[in-house]
Amino acid sequence: MIALLTHLSGGAIASALTGPGDLDPLLTSLASGAVTLAVLLVFCTPLSYLLARGTLPFPRVWEAGVLCSLLLPPLVIGLLLIFMVGPFTPIGELLNAMPWHLSATNTFLALVIAEVYESAPYYVVGAQAAFADVEPQMEQQAALLGDRPRRVFRRVTLPLAAPGLGVALSVAWARAMGAFGAVIIIAYHPYGLPLQIYDTLQETGLASALPYALILLVVALPLPLAAFAWSARARRRRRG
Amino acid sequence: MLDADVEVDRREFTVRASLHVAPGERLALFGPSGAGKTTLLEVIAGLVRPRRGRVELGGRVLTSTASPACFVPPWRRRVGLLRQDPGIFPHLSVRDNLRYAPGGHRSRTELAQVADALGISGLLSAMPVRLSGGQAHRVALGRLLLAHCDALLLDEPYAGLDAQLRRSLTDLVAGLVDERSVPAVLVAHELAEAQAFADRLAILDRGCLLQVGAPHEVVLRPASRRAAELIGYLGFVPAAEHAGNVAGVHPERVVGGAHPGRGLVLAGTVVGCRPAGAGWEAVLATGTAEVTCRLPERPAQAGGRMVVTAVDPPWFRPDGAAVNPPAASAVPPGPASPEQVGT
Repeated sequence: MIALLTHLSGGAIASALTGPGDLDPLLTSLASGAVTLAVLLVFCTPLSYLLARGTLPFPRVWEAGVLCSLLLPPLVIGLLLIFMVGPFTPIGELLNAMPWHLSATNTFLALVIAEVYESAPYYVVGAQAAFADVEPQMEQQAALLGDRPRRVFRRVTLPLAAPGLGVALSVAWARAMGAFGAVIIIAYHPYGLPLQIYDTLQETGLASALPYALILLVVALPLPLAAFAWSARARRRRRG
Repeated sequence: MLDADVEVDRREFTVRASLHVAPGERLALFGPSGAGKTTLLEVIAGLVRPRRGRVELGGRVLTSTASPACFVPPWRRRVGLLRQDPGIFPHLSVRDNLRYAPGGHRSRTELAQVADALGISGLLSAMPVRLSGGQAHRVALGRLLLAHCDALLLDEPYAGLDAQLRRSLTDLVAGLVDERSVPAVLVAHELAEAQAFADRLAILDRGCLLQVGAPHEVVLRPASRRAAELIGYLGFVPAAEHAGNVAGVHPERVVGGAHPGRGLVLAGTVVGCRPAGAGWEAVLATGTAEVTCRLPERPAQAGGRMVVTAVDPPWFRPDGAAVNPPAASAVPPGPASPEQVGT
């Protein structure tokens, strides 16, 4: 951050961001990141819980799947996504057959898919650890006091796992904001911040790309930092 | 009435037990670690499904493997379980913990009364992290009381607490069980704790109930040698004239000197001696057996001779079953062995 700031002037930032459409990459990244987080929350939270409680069939297979997507180079994920959701795949054809003629390449949807694939493993691994940290005896106690499983999840499991979930989600946010490898393969358009940085660097050089790099850091970093601070405070309050 | 007649498979053995606890009655399940005591409680609470059996509470069938099969989930059982870890929800204040049960918020007066009775009125706004071990147990107990459970299960709840606190909590729970007239089952692996709480004592070993009865009766008249060993009988002295029969000697049922009218008089050599509580514990070699005894006075030094009397000891056959003669003939007649002075 210091290096970045020392090489940037206020004027450079202003001139990079005041032209027509200059804020579009930022807005695209914010929108796709928000949708990505929503997708992770809805689909990956239950998966993480089931993995933590070991109630999924073939749990090692699921965990291996999560780890693979964590360990695979993002560029490779992008290439594989072409084979999964590209226009000539069953999923691609299904999307195209929909009333809105959706496509999972070079669209906002494609950007979200790429960001989900790049960030999901970070969220699942973190959320799984957060749920595993909640003692099953707490949930049993809540059930014996009369709560049905959903109510137990809402009143006990979720609040107790919240600090860890918050951290996992914020890390996923940072990953989604910075997603580049898979994005450049299946979602070159619309531009998010990482692709804007890359293109600006290619076309006009380092000095022009730096303001976008600064914006990316400003957008991506505060959430994880705040989540870590909140999580540490919450854990301290509970554990003394 | 709580009735449980179940079989649960565990890795090393099958737990087979039949328990009947009347409203207001306190039963203590006593046995070594891993005997299946907690498993039994978990079956009653609905946390573990038995392979076979039936659990009934107040006329409601909670579990039945016989047709029509039935399994009431834990949240509908109205069975309270208090474990060693009281399970206070750390993200809720004491007040919110107390009124956690659905409907627990209905009566503020009742909450205040329970908090008052448990001595936690001043802690209602506190977060659990600020509570001591004893306070946390009181909060957990209050939470169960406010949930209006129909049965109370206590799984070694006071382990790790100091003796005075254990005693006060035991008295408190016993009083509340009486007052609410609910069946209560305590799992304990310390005999004193079980005796202090229970109206009846059940001994469980490797999944089998060895004996159920009044605590005093179980301790003084164990049904088998194994039960006696679990209760704390440390010496088994053979009677020469009764092939294979042995007398069980409990260290705390021994008095110094020869008192033939009170039990079995034993003479032997002191092989070890050490302070124990407010008295002394000595190991006495009497022929083929070693007997541990706790005495108020310091016994002879190691190597010295000592005579003690095992007060009214239970006798066991070679197969381990208890010999249950009338009190007058509790001790086998006939001449004593060389080290067994007389009765």
